[in-house]
Amino acid sequence: MVELWGYTGRIARVNLSDGRAFIEEVKTEYIDLVLGGVGLASLMLFIEVDPRIDAFSPLNKLVFAVGPLTGTIVPGSSRAVVAARSPLTLGWGESHLGGFWGVELKKAGFDALLIEGKADTPTYIYIDDGEIEFRDASRLWGLKTSESEKTILSELEDPEVKVACIGPAGEKLVRYASIVSGERVAGRTGLGAVMGSKKLKAIAVRGRQQVRVRWFDKLRSMIARLYPSIMSFPTTQLLSSYGTNGEMDSFYQYGDVPIRNFTLGEWNGISKIEGQSMVRNYLKRHRACFGCPIGCWKEARINDPRYGLIEGRMPEYESAASLGSLLLNDDPASLIYMEKLCNDYGFDVISAGATIAWAIECFTKGLITIDDTKGLQLRWGDPDLIADLLEMIGERKGFGYMLGEGCRLASKIIGRGSERYAMHVKGLEMPMHDPRAFKGMGLQYATSNRGACHLQGLVMRVEQGERIPDLKIYRRFQRFEIEGKGWLVATMQDWHHVLESLGLCKFVQIPPGHVAGFYFLVAGVEKRLPELQRCGERISNIQRMFNIVAGVTSKDDILPDRFLSEPLGEGGAKGQVVELKPMIEEYYKVRGWDDRGIPTREKLKDLSILDIVESRLRSLGVDTWS
Amino acid sequence: MSDSIFSEEELKIEIIRVMKTLYGRGLVSALGGNVSARIPGSDTIWITPSGIFKGDLKPDDLVKISLDGDVIEGFMRPSIEWPMHTVIYRVRPDVNAVIHAHNPITTGLALAGIELKPITVEAVVTLRSVPVIPFAYPGTDELAKLVAERVMGVRALILQNHGVVALGYNLVEAEAIVETLEEVATTQLVAMLASGGREPLMIPEKDRELISRLYLR
Repeated sequence: MVELWGYTGRIARVNLSDGRAFIEEVKTEYIDLVLGGVGLASLMLFIEVDPRIDAFSPLNKLVFAVGPLTGTIVPGSSRAVVAARSPLTLGWGESHLGGFWGVELKKAGFDALLIEGKADTPTYIYIDDGEIEFRDASRLWGLKTSESEKTILSELEDPEVKVACIGPAGEKLVRYASIVSGERVAGRTGLGAVMGSKKLKAIAVRGRQQVRVRWFDKLRSMIARLYPSIMSFPTTQLLSSYGTNGEMDSFYQYGDVPIRNFTLGEWNGISKIEGQSMVRNYLKRHRACFGCPIGCWKEARINDPRYGLIEGRMPEYESAASLGSLLLNDDPASLIYMEKLCNDYGFDVISAGATIAWAIECFTKGLITIDDTKGLQLRWGDPDLIADLLEMIGERKGFGYMLGEGCRLASKIIGRGSERYAMHVKGLEMPMHDPRAFKGMGLQYATSNRGACHLQGLVMRVEQGERIPDLKIYRRFQRFEIEGKGWLVATMQDWHHVLESLGLCKFVQIPPGHVAGFYFLVAGVEKRLPELQRCGERISNIQRMFNIVAGVTSKDDILPDRFLSEPLGEGGAKGQVVELKPMIEEYYKVRGWDDRGIPTREKLKDLSILDIVESRLRSLGVDTWS
Repeated sequence: MSDSIFSEEELKIEIIRVMKTLYGRGLVSALGGNVSARIPGSDTIWITPSGIFKGDLKPDDLVKISLDGDVIEGFMRPSIEWPMHTVIYRVRPDVNAVIHAHNPITTGLALAGIELKPITVEAVVTLRSVPVIPFAYPGTDELAKLVAERVMGVRALILQNHGVVALGYNLVEAEAIVETLEEVATTQLVAMLASGGREPLMIPEKDRELISRLYLR
């Protein structure tokens, strides 16, 4: 085996159906093509999973992967990725986890954990420094995530064990169920439900190995002297002091914060739920993921007559907006309570908020009736109602069963034109940034492989005025212009795949040129920045091919009609709609895809992945290019 | 926040290096200015001593104290500004280094009632908005309280009639902030002197929009 640095070189393959586990070597040619993390997960799933299968089938596979920088002294190197066919998008599904779990997996000696099959009875996996054990999870089944974690830690009698688990929502196959570790959450695309379908309650990991770094002293010296620059990204100190919700007020000025299911541009509740006031009023303590110099993770404490004493994660921006402004809820204490509900039941706050917003809007328009809701009167701005609905989703009871399907499927079931008010792309509910305020974000949502995703590209940063010379983003991209956005979105998506493949957080803004330097010092492999970018581009194309086989194609590269034809009447994005079509055309062209949005053979050949893709398509009996 | 990548001995040597650099640049004086660094993830800091000549400090002169000011290691008296240092570490877990310097030009401009303008890229990107704290007597709880009220979300503060405070994830970052403050202040002073007191030309709003929306409310 080739000596590897940064990577462990090992994958744990676990089959829940027959209770067997194997340890395999990572193919170094894979690493060369797509790095680790999301790159490795994408390639493994493309090669091993038929994208057309039912996401809840035992044939679906779930990959947890970390990058070569995960667990090193590189700032922000806490990240792990989870991927599978998504029950929500019915195509490529991935979600990311901060905190400490990924670092522990790496220290246990693995770059990835591949889970196959389905257990007969509730099971959890315990990985202890390379040893893999299947354990009975019958008494955990039905427990909320915080209770599950506590029980496992007590059973294993080791407080250093890190647990990633699902809650009742994952067990009951809520299509946007999450995977929770501590208070960190892999929330998007419903991978907690894939775990639930496999009767896999949790993965507990304990690792004691050091991550091997090729040039440790040079890396240490370089990092120490880079802090003035790393910490100079405009949002850094705001995130440190107030968390991501510290930016809500700034987003609001742009007309970016969604209000009443994206129908209003102004709302006077913002000042009550924005992060600076929430930190002043409810902060319990600041926390940070492994190796993070910023620490945007905040813990809250409230003592409210309605909820009693609640201690838990302070709502991030996405939570505060999806359960707050999106639903006209200006009650900050309720947001802390609801955040805890979502994390304890184990489902995604964004999808939950957006699905509830769909239901309320349809109810007010008479498209959903009181018979549909089983007697519930839906209305805007009612925190008690929202909390009740969240519990019903977690338990999949009453109207909550329907809401647990996500807004796309629920609106198809209801019909009556309700589909028009379901805000999603490819089935993934819209994040809390209005694409009419940042049109590049509209293109990013429309083309992201996992559906409406704000994190794969974060193009709005550039549209707010950031320049990234290392990526050749020299000029000022205005937020309402569409010229050049195809190139910009493709460039940023590819770069973010690189970060996700290395195991880095996107909020610790390390200049890309330095990231290439860190990779060299950790892995001992010289890959200049353009080569890393090519790895990111390969990942975009591999995921795209996965989607095409799954039936998720250019017809799904769209936005809800609201963003294309309904301008807001007020606020920072007043009068704007997204001119998507020309941006899509430019995007396909820049990507080297044909006008049906299919990567051309020439493009795949240029990226050195044509052989892999053709061979896989042949084995699936798919002829994409005819 | 995360575990340190340097040992305590290396941290102490780094404090001395920073102190000497700033002394050489005239940003701390023989008896004015102090530097501290937190052992990341802990509730203890190393801080420069009080009353000793600042141009020739040695690692053994440094004092290790708790965030309550109790001396844990060292033989000298900790800087009288320890309450200001520790209050910053308490409310800003992302900060592991605090420098109080006596930047003459930055302090002088503040005394003249002139705020720093977005005149260079460093002024915009590195400094953003720098609050001015009204005078409070050095070493007092009152000063610490005033600092605590304004320190969230910033990288530096100006202490009226006193000097500056710069923060960093590590000492290099805090040192860079102190130097940038004086560089920007000096540039602005030169521009104003050379133009007979006119407001200097600033970086256009469109090129500093993100910072403006985030910090200059």
